[in-house]
Amino acid sequence: TGGDVEDEVVNSTAKSAEDRKAAAALSKLDTHDDDESGRQMVDQDALNNVMEGVVVPKRDDEAPRKVVKVDPADVALLVDELELPKTKATELLRSHDGDAVKAMRAFITPSWKA
Amino acid sequence: MDIRLLKPSDIPLIQHANLENLPENYFLKYYLYHALSWPQLSYVAVDAARPAKTPYDYPKIVGYVLAKMEEEPTDGVQHGHITSLSVMRTHRRLGIAEKLMRQSQQAMVETFGAQYVSLHVRVSNQAAIHLYRDTLGFKNEKTENKYYADGEDAYCMKLDLSFIREQIQEAEVDAGSSEKGA
Amino acid sequence: MPQTLSTREANLFRTVIRHYEDKQYKRGLKAAEQILKKNPKHGDTMSMKALIMNAQGKTEEAFALAKEALTIDMKSHICWHVYGILYRTNKNFDEAIKAYKFALKLEPDSHQIQRDLAILQVQMRDYQGYVQSRLTMLKARPQLRQNWTALAIAYHLEGNLQQAEKILTTYEKSVTTAPLKTDFENSEAVLYKNSIIAEMGEVERALEHLETDGKHNLDRLAVMELRARYLAQLGRKEEAAKAYRALLDRNPEHPDYYQCLIETLDMSKTDEAALKAVYDEYAEKFPRCDAARRLPLDFLTGDDFQKAAKSYLTLMFNKGVPSTFANLKHLYSNSFKKDTLPTLADEYLQEHKQNSDGKEQANGDSSKGEGAALFFLAQHYNYHMSRDLSRAMEYVERAIELDPKNTDFQMTKARIYKHQGETQKASEAMDYARTLDTRDRYINSKAAKYQLRNNENENALTTMGLFTRAETVGGPLADLIDMQCIWFLTEDGEAWQRRGNLGLALKRFHTIFNIFDIWQEDQFDFHSFSLRKGQIRAYIDMIRWQDQLREHPFYFRAALDAVNLYLDMHDKPQGSNGVNGVDGGKANGEDAAEKKKAAKKAKKEAQKAEREAAEKAAKQDPNKASAQKGKDAEDAKKKDDDPNGLKLASTTDPLGDAMKFLGPLLQFSPKNIDGQLAGFEVFIRRKKYLLALRCLNAALALDKDHPRVQEQSKTFQEAIGPILDSFAPKVQEIIKSEFTAFSS
Repeated sequence: TGGDVEDEVVNSTAKSAEDRKAAAALSKLDTHDDDESGRQMVDQDALNNVMEGVVVPKRDDEAPRKVVKVDPADVALLVDELELPKTKATELLRSHDGDAVKAMRAFITPSWKA
Repeated sequence: MDIRLLKPSDIPLIQHANLENLPENYFLKYYLYHALSWPQLSYVAVDAARPAKTPYDYPKIVGYVLAKMEEEPTDGVQHGHITSLSVMRTHRRLGIAEKLMRQSQQAMVETFGAQYVSLHVRVSNQAAIHLYRDTLGFKNEKTENKYYADGEDAYCMKLDLSFIREQIQEAEVDAGSSEKGA
Repeated sequence: MPQTLSTREANLFRTVIRHYEDKQYKRGLKAAEQILKKNPKHGDTMSMKALIMNAQGKTEEAFALAKEALTIDMKSHICWHVYGILYRTNKNFDEAIKAYKFALKLEPDSHQIQRDLAILQVQMRDYQGYVQSRLTMLKARPQLRQNWTALAIAYHLEGNLQQAEKILTTYEKSVTTAPLKTDFENSEAVLYKNSIIAEMGEVERALEHLETDGKHNLDRLAVMELRARYLAQLGRKEEAAKAYRALLDRNPEHPDYYQCLIETLDMSKTDEAALKAVYDEYAEKFPRCDAARRLPLDFLTGDDFQKAAKSYLTLMFNKGVPSTFANLKHLYSNSFKKDTLPTLADEYLQEHKQNSDGKEQANGDSSKGEGAALFFLAQHYNYHMSRDLSRAMEYVERAIELDPKNTDFQMTKARIYKHQGETQKASEAMDYARTLDTRDRYINSKAAKYQLRNNENENALTTMGLFTRAETVGGPLADLIDMQCIWFLTEDGEAWQRRGNLGLALKRFHTIFNIFDIWQEDQFDFHSFSLRKGQIRAYIDMIRWQDQLREHPFYFRAALDAVNLYLDMHDKPQGSNGVNGVDGGKANGEDAAEKKKAAKKAKKEAQKAEREAAEKAAKQDPNKASAQKGKDAEDAKKKDDDPNGLKLASTTDPLGDAMKFLGPLLQFSPKNIDGQLAGFEVFIRRKKYLLALRCLNAALALDKDHPRVQEQSKTFQEAIGPILDSFAPKVQEIIKSEFTAFSS
């Protein structure tokens, strides 16, 4: 069977008409036909105008992000005790004003009870 | 028993019902493909009376119809297709299959302008053939040889949906003139 | 230094890409080799070659080559893009995102890279990143509606509803021609926008939008349901009632509609007669409707209940509906109803007897009603809230006498045996039921399940094999795994666990874990597919469901099994005896030997099945070369180097392995106490005291009287008492303040 290159195209697992249908549908899911033919008539000028207005809005909570000092020793403690990734541990500390006790307490309190 | 539209979160238990009931099974993704392509067409029957065992219980699916529109109809006519239909043995004789089918057919016409609906059924499946032909009015179009993996033939059946279109038009006229239920 | 290609080879390079996209891997490779012969250090070609090899299942070689390509040409966006794709197809999404970002820095205008990045961002739920990507994509192609919808989705998922709505409206305003009535994409976009308005809590505006923009929407049911809901929320009760009536006319089997209708009717909740009248109207209008007849049984009391229940039971028995008991057992929380229903069934039997005694009924169906009533009573006495197993058996035998070939009756007999603890008899009875209707897979599945409950793994697989596809390489088990048959894998694993075959038990639980990974991965294609289809609301539903995927009881059960098994392995590292934990230390020698023997036998059988499958594959029709070859790649990918789970069972760190299952268990089902109890056991053994305390506190909050919670409190106390002083002061502080089990 060496040598021939006419291969690999057909989905092989499908044994019945029913299966072939399913396989064909699934194999087409990820085709990216960026088909623009079906697009509607849009007013290009109007579009350009509104595009100007489409900017990423600054999220309120982002603007004055509080500077919270986080002690690396506390991060290490949380990573070890709570088995969190470093980023998550840092985040957790930040959201509790860098207070390791508060952070750990919050973490071990059932979420629906807090 | 509750008959309602299929939700994505129902899919694991729909797949489960399918695996319990029928020899033709599919990956979860194929159910997802139906649910995300034609969410209006697939319905489930749920055992609504089941007492909950945990806070994470999912509604127990006792019947479902998985339906689609034919993406590239060879005859050029918009039509629906029933991919899979089954009702748990424990919940038969309540007319669930018929009720599921009627909901799906209605939506095929309303949402996608289907002219007819087609399906395949094993030639030996008397109960299903009875439902399709005698209860729902399907007609046998042709026999497809060895359609199923085990070599069994399938009847290809069709139901013309113009009666639903007419009902919709009548209802619209009624709504326009006077107050009268369907 | 990156090499540049001649025109001819540049063309050839394009065909490599094309072949790859068409999945013509061999051709693609051939073309790539041709280029590399002359330009052995051409990074882009090396990358493409790596990509093709990856598609053929040669993952490691692919990565090595792609890395080499990168070291040669660090500035090539193709090399970085390919690197990202390799990571993506091997499911390392974080690394993939990093690689795509590098690629995009080098080629900021690449639509393809941007799109790939965006899909990964939403897959990983990096919504802020997704917003940025979709914004860039929209700016590149604002004429495409999909791009507007996608940006709205990004904002929506990020939680910025206002912005999502604004984006949708902006697009609408720029459209110069009115969309066609049959324009599905437009129809759906309208309802999507409506759902966003409603999600913001602006019901009035949502209703107005629905009644103008949504008036002729193609999704009729959605419009009717939303309109009814908005009207009800706004207190416009009369209109809401009418809207719910219209919905009931469409589908009288949806209990919600009755509930909502009643809420709009301003009725006293205690006026049972008036409530019932609402249902009666639909029972009359739809003679075949079940809900309108059954639902009043939920609220009726006393004589009214009795009367309604009698008429419902009579109707169901006459039709021989097998689900009658299943549909009513929820009423058993009320003891009056629990006592009334069997009495009514008895009465039905008496009356039926009188009737048939009086005159022999002509039609052969006369036994149907009697059988159904007997069947009901058998199930009644088999139910845990009203259990009397000998009476249950009595009734089912009477039913069987009436109709010996009735599969449902035989099934219930098997179920009664199960509740008697007679797993062997139960298995035999269910298998007998199976023989009565060999074309029905439902009874086949039940027979296999009962065999598994009786630890007959091999028989169960044979039974299942009657319905799996004969030609699947690897036999029935491979087919069941392929088809993601979770229930079988779970039951099979539990049975192997009982039989002491840890390897196969772990193997099944890991297989289930992997199926959940596949299910999560399944959403990937839909991030772009759904935009093309334009079905946005269903997509959003899917995303929300996927976020909670592993809370499913399917996951919970298998994961809990696995965690408990690993705990046993930790506690009794000597291996396969005493896995049940109960007979642990004092497992008698005979039992252990038997288990070992069984494990050996199972291993042999699995090896035999493997051999047979390989032979079968080898013997396949050579004429079907094209089909077979594609399969080779697939099989190479799928080749399992530990089919019997021997590697899994020989772990030296069972507690560490348990964490893989435990993490999602605690994350997604925190309110299931069994998960918390298991979590405690793992953490206390791992000496992770704060995490153990976390589970303990959760369990306490769920059920402080649970006997195992009390036990675990004691265990915790005893474990930390002597060593508390050695903990970090901050940890001590927490334990002292949060370990309150004893003080309370």
